[in-house]
Amino acid sequence: MASLDDSSQPRLAAGCRWGGSEEDRVILFPEGAIRLQGTGRQVLERCDGQRTFGQIIAELQAQFGDADPAKIRDDISKFLEQLWKKRIVDY
Amino acid sequence: MAPNPLALIAEITHRCPLHCVYCSNPLQLADTESELSTGDWLRVFEQAGKLGMLHAHFTGGEPLARQDLTELIAGARAAGLYTNLITSGIGLSEQRLQALVAAGLDHIQISFQDSQEGAANWIAGAKAHAHKLELSRAIRTHKLAFTTNLVVHRQNIDHLEEMIAFLEGLAPDRMEIAHTQYYGWALKNRAALLPTRAQLDKAVEIVAAAEKRMAGRIRMDSVVPDYYARYPKACMGGWGRQLMLINPAGKVLPCHAAEVIPGLEFENVRQRTLEFIWRESSSFRRFRGEEWMPEPCRSCERRTEDFGGCRCQAFLLMQDASATDPACSLAPAHHIVEAALREANVDTTVAKPASASSFVQLQQRTADLWSYRTNPDSPLTTEPRW
Repeated sequence: MASLDDSSQPRLAAGCRWGGSEEDRVILFPEGAIRLQGTGRQVLERCDGQRTFGQIIAELQAQFGDADPAKIRDDISKFLEQLWKKRIVDY
Repeated sequence: MAPNPLALIAEITHRCPLHCVYCSNPLQLADTESELSTGDWLRVFEQAGKLGMLHAHFTGGEPLARQDLTELIAGARAAGLYTNLITSGIGLSEQRLQALVAAGLDHIQISFQDSQEGAANWIAGAKAHAHKLELSRAIRTHKLAFTTNLVVHRQNIDHLEEMIAFLEGLAPDRMEIAHTQYYGWALKNRAALLPTRAQLDKAVEIVAAAEKRMAGRIRMDSVVPDYYARYPKACMGGWGRQLMLINPAGKVLPCHAAEVIPGLEFENVRQRTLEFIWRESSSFRRFRGEEWMPEPCRSCERRTEDFGGCRCQAFLLMQDASATDPACSLAPAHHIVEAALREANVDTTVAKPASASSFVQLQQRTADLWSYRTNPDSPLTTEPRW
């Protein structure tokens, strides 16, 4: 089973892609869609298969300087693990 | 006002090289001559995109029977829709697959009848199994989502574990274990298809174990058959709430089987826009919301979850489309489903696959068990031909 660590490079899984409009972005996947606003969108837009998990966390910790960095790390891992279980994100 | 629909089910043809005994197509199939043209479909996809729909599901019959499928996929994709092809794979060469992917196909869903070739061909009434294996390997060389769909029923459910292991070997992203739903040809063949309670209980355990084992690798989607469930299924996510189905001849239906309900008039995309049909047509409004609901639905806490179940099933089983779905344990007519279940559980023998060199022979050998699905341009009963 793949595990998420700082060197993982998360990306959208095969057959999952962005859709909708600029104001109303959705991730489209087999039999469903998730509407993403705010932080979820910020995270997923960085899941480009290039950036590492460590980089994504660092970028968002810098951007949301007021929030607890440990909580940011924890929230992002949980979010990506959920999407991994649904076969929307690979890492 | 109704929210926008989410997905379009494009039943682009009723032609099919398979004759599956559980096919959910209507007994009265739309003939080839009445099929919508390429231009009609392209216009429909554009309207769907503007209406805010997200997905287009291409189904049939066998969608590959349409020579313009690549063009249709490209059109749907250009309209902003996520494209899903639901297919047996028969008629799909590697070259055609490549063209579909290049046209923007996002997801392909291949149906399997069994893990054993003889049994699979028996259910499908055609030799198709070996080709599907080859095709599955080709699919994995492309970047698109791959689902394997397995319809389970009395005749194959006893080796579900083996079937899941076999499908796992094809490395799909998703596995759908679909219990037969009793509409169209499946209802006609229900006695041969409805599993026993013991079969079902074992299947539920097997699916749960497989789901756990495959987590993160293969996503498992499975639903308990409504005959054995306590509450009915939220058919189509509720009548006129999420989905629009267009049949090969252009009729727009709130659900696959809706044409069985008498007194409903369906609009056609040749005359009306999808938006008009969604918002204004009497057929889409007929069972939308809660006003049509009888008791016990009307005061039931679950009415916003299952919407009273399936209208077509209510009609098919009790000739009343506005009754509570008899699959619901609270329905006044639940005894109808209970009677079918009793029958399924009295005699627990399961037939052995018959083999034959031709479809006609196969039909003769299984005449006492079930009827194979026919094709649109052939009569419902096969007469001898010389």
